[in-house]
Amino acid sequence: MTTGRHHRQQILSEVGEGGQQRLERASVAIVGLGGLGSPVALYLAAAGVGRLGLIDDQQVELSNLNRQILFEECDVGRPKVEAAAGRLLILDSALRLDARKESVRASNVQAIVAEYDLVVDATDSFETKFLLNDAAVLLRKPLVHGAVLRWGGQATTVLPDGPCLRCLFRDPPQAADIETCEEAGIIGAASGVVGSVQAEEALKVLLNVGTPLSGRIFQHDGLRGEARITTFPRDPGCPVCSPRARITDLSRYAEQVSPRGHVLT
Amino acid sequence: MPEASLSAEQRQRYARHLALAEIGPAGQERLLRSRVLIVGVGALGSPVALYLAAAGVGTIGLADHDHVRLSNLQRQVVHSMAGLNRSKVDGASRTVLALNPDVRVEPVEATVDEHNAMELLARYEVIVDGTDSFYARYLLSDAAYLLRKPLVHGSIFRIEGQVTVFVPGRGCYRCLYPEPPPAGAIEESEQVGVLAALPGIIGTIQAAEAIKLITGTGDPLVNRVLLHDTMAMTFREVRYRRNRACPVCGDHPTVQSLADYHAVVGAEEGRR
Repeated sequence: MTTGRHHRQQILSEVGEGGQQRLERASVAIVGLGGLGSPVALYLAAAGVGRLGLIDDQQVELSNLNRQILFEECDVGRPKVEAAAGRLLILDSALRLDARKESVRASNVQAIVAEYDLVVDATDSFETKFLLNDAAVLLRKPLVHGAVLRWGGQATTVLPDGPCLRCLFRDPPQAADIETCEEAGIIGAASGVVGSVQAEEALKVLLNVGTPLSGRIFQHDGLRGEARITTFPRDPGCPVCSPRARITDLSRYAEQVSPRGHVLT
Repeated sequence: MPEASLSAEQRQRYARHLALAEIGPAGQERLLRSRVLIVGVGALGSPVALYLAAAGVGTIGLADHDHVRLSNLQRQVVHSMAGLNRSKVDGASRTVLALNPDVRVEPVEATVDEHNAMELLARYEVIVDGTDSFYARYLLSDAAYLLRKPLVHGSIFRIEGQVTVFVPGRGCYRCLYPEPPPAGAIEESEQVGVLAALPGIIGTIQAAEAIKLITGTGDPLVNRVLLHDTMAMTFREVRYRRNRACPVCGDHPTVQSLADYHAVVGAEEGRR
């Protein structure tokens, strides 16, 4: 007897046959196919999430390959969405993949977020992280946030009616305080830890099992070998998810939020 | 090592490591010269192999006796349909080399057991346990201690996982778990469920620990075990010490070679 592809997951009481069908019917937008998007895409595809939106406007570069395990050396120069789709289809040819070679901006975020059941933020830009947060809150979609630098990173899950990223960090850091992976460096396995946590969170939310990281932030310091979870409440004055919200309409986003993601007063 | 010894291509490929104070050109050289053995190329071995290869670990030994089955593909992301019914070591080698041809893979298509463990482990400087049986965990721990090699332990069970590092003289798997669980208490692994990304979380932490051991940086998970519950999404650290009465690494060891292996209490019960 051949054991089915998802047998080991289906026999979990938390999943079962019903849960597996739920995953097959689910759709997830993965925004960013880099260090975080690589494990997210591989594990969600492996788990049998039926439809994946792969969203990234970049091409594979050699300097990506120290951590972006979705790609191969022969992919250098190819659009990431194309290379990723090829890799995922050899894992499971039954997957439905939307390869969208574009970046997420205020002008297209609504159309993208509205089309999927859940969004995974695997980007490396603060503006996009806050834009995705705002869109997820306003469109009431679950969002799994992740960020990494050097040897560590963080993840949290934003659920409709739960605390959001702006409850925790009202605005992105000032440009002068932002370090990029290019300047600061990054260890591949660090993005692997956070990306795997994001994938696990996405599966739990889709299956409606366990306790997702809603109102909790996971912080990993790989150099010290520490993983911490810290709780955070909803901010009653949150600029997007509270009754006093100033970010209220994605079609008027440019009037309400600066190009760098700061709330305009 | 001077930076000049890295090729222009390597400086590009490992640019994000060269920017890290803890790695830099010297650390990258060290990684490229290093030799790591991954025992078990399944759920845990997949992310370990991918991330160590991406990091430029120069020689990776991949040991597994098994073939890729369809039900593996739900979590063993180093494999694909192209490798179905073929050896796991072979499939993983192809994926790893396509990612980074700088890496040399040493394939070992065999079960690691008390007869070959010493000879095999002796050829590597860091050992990563990606196996799924208590027998293998005790065996690798004993062999690594006898050879005085560091061992990065990881294991998963249903919705839980754990990682720790055994550095010779500072505790081993027997110090942490003196007795294997009673035979009846262990379910056959094929009958145990696992959510796809749990081994990703544990395996990538193992990969990071291996990189720290090779480059001599950071605080490895020595004398502490990181316990993860993926449904609750919690992490807990539990400290442990070397057991002075440990039959392998204690003050008066009774196991001084794997020839004595059958004499070790629990070893046979642990064989699954």
